Amino acid sequence: MTSLRWIGLIAMKDLRQEFRSGGRVIAMLAFAVLACFLFSFSLDRSRVDGLDVAAGLLWLTVLFSSIAGAGRTFDAEEDDGAFRHLLLAPVSRHAIYLGKAVANLVLVCLVAALAAAALTIFFGIAEPGSAAHHASVLFPGAIGLAAAGTFFGLISRHSTLGDSLLPVLTLPVLAPLISLGATASSRVFLGRPWAEIGGSVRLLWAIAIGLVVVGSLLFRYITEE
Amino acid sequence: MDADTREGAKGMQMSGRGAGKLGRVGFGLAAAGITAILVVHWMMAFWVPTEAAQGVVQRIFYIHVPAAWTTFVAVGLAALASLAFLWLEDERWDATAVAAAEGALVFGAIMLLTGPLWGRIAWGTYWTWEPRLTLTLLMWFMYVGYFLVRESVASPARARRFASVVAVIGSLNIPLIHVSPDWFPSLHPQAVVIKPDGPDLPADMLITLLTSLAGFTMLFFGLFTLRYAIIILHRQRRIGAPSRLATGH
Repeated sequence: MTSLRWIGLIAMKDLRQEFRSGGRVIAMLAFAVLACFLFSFSLDRSRVDGLDVAAGLLWLTVLFSSIAGAGRTFDAEEDDGAFRHLLLAPVSRHAIYLGKAVANLVLVCLVAALAAAALTIFFGIAEPGSAAHHASVLFPGAIGLAAAGTFFGLISRHSTLGDSLLPVLTLPVLAPLISLGATASSRVFLGRPWAEIGGSVRLLWAIAIGLVVVGSLLFRYITEE
Repeated sequence: MDADTREGAKGMQMSGRGAGKLGRVGFGLAAAGITAILVVHWMMAFWVPTEAAQGVVQRIFYIHVPAAWTTFVAVGLAALASLAFLWLEDERWDATAVAAAEGALVFGAIMLLTGPLWGRIAWGTYWTWEPRLTLTLLMWFMYVGYFLVRESVASPARARRFASVVAVIGSLNIPLIHVSPDWFPSLHPQAVVIKPDGPDLPADMLITLLTSLAGFTMLFFGLFTLRYAIIILHRQRRIGAPSRLATGH
């Protein structure tokens, strides 16, 4: 069986499990909407224009929601010992990591889409920019978030600090991604042409691919027994 | 002896005499480093001329730059030792990485404290979100995470592997930090010492800087050697080498 097929099987298995139980998906989506809701009335709207802050708040919402979800990536399998059996299966560690990351990517994309819609509604943004441009900016960002979250999620799973360790490990790694993504999204919200956005998106892709490659290469060292 | 402890025994052989010798080397280097840094303080106060553009505040350059240099040496050493540990699983590399990472945190803190003090006068602000500052702060926090991982993972063998991976990831932005003033708009000056056509500092400033660089480097390697010997002895003791107290001798 090819690695690609293993990646697909592991991702599908994780997603089926997530959507059947629903807990993590609902928690991530609810967190995203509630965060946008709180942002909308915690800022003085008479002084702050929604368009000026929407991009930053969108990326922060997606970041925190992803981190909250990533901490639970391995919970079910670790609790009943299934993860140990998965490691014993004749499948490469790269495929296990990438399968898990793809499942997380789907969840992060859902969160990003919902958060973008929620911010647009709560901040009353009449012209939020091109949806295709928003997707082009958010997708590589979501790949980076899923790659880092999956990797560090396993480390924090084994830590007595649990979820409080995860932000300490992920935020320094993801900060350049968030900064670039927020800059690019801000230009999309302002309706700027693609020529002003494309450079940031290329850098976002470079960081996202870098995170996936580093995660794949190092994953076997954090799964050795 | 459990699996973790057995694994921890790999590469842990060091005689008391060997540790004592390492300790003396470390102590000697640290003492030489402290002496050189004291001499640099005298040079800063009484010998080196005041820089024309920035005035007296520029003298913090002789502390900030060597602290930054030492931080990057320490981070590089921690990352290389961590890679060697992941590859060879020899405990001595892990001890090397821990000792170097402690140096990275301490000298990194000196760099991050002296930078804003200098920046307040030179740039008019304690902190600005320019690439080199931001990336350096993020790298420092990765090394905070390194020690949190070591302390919070219950299985020592797993904690060492996890921490080694964090150290490797934490070091990946060193090249980016180095080239950031050339690649991005930055308030940090271009290199004035390591240049293809030679340093363009006046001789007395260069001598003061090089003395400080030597002092900080010796202090780091002195503390690093001492910590390495202590870590090895501590682990030897923990994995069951009979102590005099336990055996009654």
